[in-house]
Amino acid sequence: MIVEIHHEVLELSPTGALYWPANKALFIADAHIGKVMHFRKNGIALPTEVRFSFYEKIAHLLTQFEVATLYFLGDLFHSDHNSEWVDFCRWANQQAFKKVLIEGNHDILPKTRFEQAGLEVYTALDLAPFYLSHHPIEATAPKINLCGHLHPGVRLKGLGGQYLKAPCFYKKPHQLILPAFGGFTGMYIIKPTAEDQVYVLGESAVIAVNKMKK
Amino acid sequence: MKKINIQDWFLDKGWTPQRFQKATWQAYLAGKSGLLNAPTGSGKTYAIWGGVLQRQLDIGQLPKKTNVLWITPLRALGVEIQQTTELLTKAFFPTLSVGLRTGDTPQSERVKQKRQPPFGLVTTPESLHLLISNKGHQHFFENLHTVVVDEWHELMGSKRGVQVELALSYLKSFLPNLQVWGISATIGNLDLAQQILLGRPTENQILVQSTQKKKIEVVSLFPKEMETFPWSGHLGIHLLEQVTEIIRTHPSTLLFTNTRAQCEIWYQKLLEKAPELAGQLAMHHGSIDKINRLWVEDALRQHRLKAVICTSSLDLGVDFSPVSACVQIGSPKGVGRFLQRAGRSGHQPQKGSKIYFLPTHAIELIESLALQKAIKENTIEDRLPYLNSFDVLVQFLMTLAVGDGFMPKPCFEIVKNTFCFQTLTVQQWQWLLNFIQKGSQSLENYDEYKKTYVDDAGKICVASRSIAMRHRLNIGTIMSDASLLVKYLKGGKIGTIEEWFVSKLKTGDVFTFAGRNLELVRIQAMEVLVRKSKSKNTKIPAWMGGRMSFSAHLSQMLRATFFAPETSNTPEWKALRPLLDRQRQLSMLPETNQFLIETFTTKEGHHAVFYPFEGRAIHEAMAAIIAYRYSLLYPISFTLAYNDYGFELLSDQPIDIEALIDNNLLTTKDLIDDLRKSINLAEMARRKFRDIAVIAGLVFQGYPQKTLKSKHLQSSAQLFFEVFKDYEPDNLLYLQAVAESFDHGMEQGRLQQAFERIEQQEICWKKAAQPTPFSFPLITDRLREKLSSETVEDRIKKMYVQLEKQLQ
Repeated sequence: MIVEIHHEVLELSPTGALYWPANKALFIADAHIGKVMHFRKNGIALPTEVRFSFYEKIAHLLTQFEVATLYFLGDLFHSDHNSEWVDFCRWANQQAFKKVLIEGNHDILPKTRFEQAGLEVYTALDLAPFYLSHHPIEATAPKINLCGHLHPGVRLKGLGGQYLKAPCFYKKPHQLILPAFGGFTGMYIIKPTAEDQVYVLGESAVIAVNKMKK
Repeated sequence: MKKINIQDWFLDKGWTPQRFQKATWQAYLAGKSGLLNAPTGSGKTYAIWGGVLQRQLDIGQLPKKTNVLWITPLRALGVEIQQTTELLTKAFFPTLSVGLRTGDTPQSERVKQKRQPPFGLVTTPESLHLLISNKGHQHFFENLHTVVVDEWHELMGSKRGVQVELALSYLKSFLPNLQVWGISATIGNLDLAQQILLGRPTENQILVQSTQKKKIEVVSLFPKEMETFPWSGHLGIHLLEQVTEIIRTHPSTLLFTNTRAQCEIWYQKLLEKAPELAGQLAMHHGSIDKINRLWVEDALRQHRLKAVICTSSLDLGVDFSPVSACVQIGSPKGVGRFLQRAGRSGHQPQKGSKIYFLPTHAIELIESLALQKAIKENTIEDRLPYLNSFDVLVQFLMTLAVGDGFMPKPCFEIVKNTFCFQTLTVQQWQWLLNFIQKGSQSLENYDEYKKTYVDDAGKICVASRSIAMRHRLNIGTIMSDASLLVKYLKGGKIGTIEEWFVSKLKTGDVFTFAGRNLELVRIQAMEVLVRKSKSKNTKIPAWMGGRMSFSAHLSQMLRATFFAPETSNTPEWKALRPLLDRQRQLSMLPETNQFLIETFTTKEGHHAVFYPFEGRAIHEAMAAIIAYRYSLLYPISFTLAYNDYGFELLSDQPIDIEALIDNNLLTTKDLIDDLRKSINLAEMARRKFRDIAVIAGLVFQGYPQKTLKSKHLQSSAQLFFEVFKDYEPDNLLYLQAVAESFDHGMEQGRLQQAFERIEQQEICWKKAAQPTPFSFPLITDRLREKLSSETVEDRIKKMYVQLEKQLQ
């Protein structure tokens, strides 16, 4: 789905990624790579196949969009080092585009590890007209804050008592919060207000939903 | 020296041992195992403990170490048993003691028990498993000769019953002469209860039944003017006046409610209505502070209270002399529970018990008739045991690994010897071993999974101290009713609440606790964080899901009552007449051979309501199947609601009943297949999986004190469920969730019968101009399931997000 935010055209992908054609920039928040192995190292038996979902999704995105820079908006890697980091480095070093990480609270690996994967690391980044961060920042106006951390999801209502929960892009007046990209991540159910806009991830499309007052 | 005889001692005290007590002593001394079927308060503790002491008297020398284990389902009960048995023990052996080992036992006491093991040890199933997770526990148990399992009828229908089965089979593996005694109230399948606990019947086991049987009188309450009787509801406050009158005219009264919220509300309303009762009226439920609860129990014993409003918290054990009257508020959901509650009243066995039944809505009056019929015919429901509870087995194998480790081969035999796992295959066993050793079934080249390792002797042992620690906390905190602290988000403690109670709640749910409406924000590190809520629509956090289904017996009784001509002369039926007339006017009253379907439209959407009278669990499955079959005809989304009388499909599109009948959607053909395919099953399995994930140790809920690192290990059962569904659909724990939805959720056989019955009936479709009395409790139900054959995108397009009210 294409949206225009402050005169910039952006494409919202049902994978949860955000593409900015003018800059050939792809944004991904909260990938939480390494989470599966972190759980397994601690004796919690998750199926190992889950960890491939990141690579499948990103491979699909790369056929769809021309990418000059890939921005990770934090929580790229879930915890301490484990074998999944080796997989990620191998993948990252095969990619020709620039890779940037905005540090998230989960990104506790030493800086050298990130460099090993060819990542430029920032705590936040000015990318006019956007301002990139992991945690949502309130006061970035007039710049638009692109961020993650929240894992936004929304509860939708319909006639006949129907309801549905789904991850979403959460647009506030000067902010766009991306849904979590990772395959084994939860959702935080947001409570939007009248000035907000919500774009819900369907199976193969992103849909802007209607709002209704209580 | 004169040989002391326990029976003489009883006679000296002026007590006459009852026949079942003597029979138990005799069988016990003969070395038999047994099941004692006796009601609460009948002296069952003496029946068993008397035998234990008599044997000790016969031996004549003081025992070493712990000889007897007494397992109870409730910690509160444990205190009672410990006091009773210790008092009795001291009368003969002043130096012997009985200890208590539950989640509440302080560390200092545990250390003391290890150094100086008490003669008897009262414990819970999970605390017993914790003992097995200690190194050298076989040494600790080496003189154990008897295990008593109290309230076995209550345990056997739960996964804690499986814990007991596993523990007993394990203890018997190194204590071949172990005597096992169960105590059970009357249930429909007492034989099976005995077999599960003791194994196949042999000469060396016995069933002892106390012959006491009380007469039970049931009195229905209804308002003087039936017009004021609500068509739906769950509190029953409209009958406050009658209840106040019962309390006034009886020396002591127990009021049973089905939920804690209901309990709290009744307490407040009674005090408002009859302020003179202040000081003589008390509340008793699981969330009430333990000290207060003990005070209430004590006050009841000493007749200092006029009335106590309680939940199931007073169903079990807790010995106190009977009260003069009992009041059941709302449906008891089963004959067995109703009888047990009724049994709380009546001072003398020969005088019988009296219980008032207070319907919370009109149609429950029919239920009252059904209960009376069941009591008259003495039909009590069965307790269904769990089969193949792999979650409990995974937990138990880890318990053994944490303790002294285990050899797979002999352990397989121990597990196979239980009733629960009698059909366990070698393949399943290998799967489970792989699961705890490798964390998966396929060997990965480089994997860092760590949980257990195999030592040089071939024993499976726990991999690290932190995993062992996490496992112990998991046994201790989840299965038992661990107390969590309820706190406001901004600080300020409100009280404690049991874990299982909270586990029924989701974030955002509003519940009533200590007289306040609270919204659950999150649970972290053994604390329940809440904020105040103004929501009137408080979800009633319920006892065992609160939405227990009618048992098969009660459903059958209900149908028999509803369609029987002889009921039409009862006061209940007469009281219902205005409502039944209204039903007839708007729709119809079905006869035995008729199956009623009603349709009508409200601003919520298009309703179709079906009335099979089969009980909630069966309706849940029927609704799913019919919604699924219908959704194959047209792309449509439904939400489903059900109660014990019928079920409802609600949609934003009109529901074409003609198409439903023409396409024969009520057929028994492909029933189970359709059920499997209905999305609803996935929803049910998802719910079942919550407990499974916790028991199997997938979901880790944090440490009580944050002294250990648990960083980045929190995840919800829901996420695990999704991941297994998508990536490992042959995972035994995932399959167990699906199987449990069938077995315990809906009982396939009953489902088949329900559809067969409909095939014999004439289908009557009534288009009503407005909601009918029968439909009212259904359409006002706010907890719903959904089923859809539309694409997610199509559904989203029709939906909207509700905005929060703007603050001024």
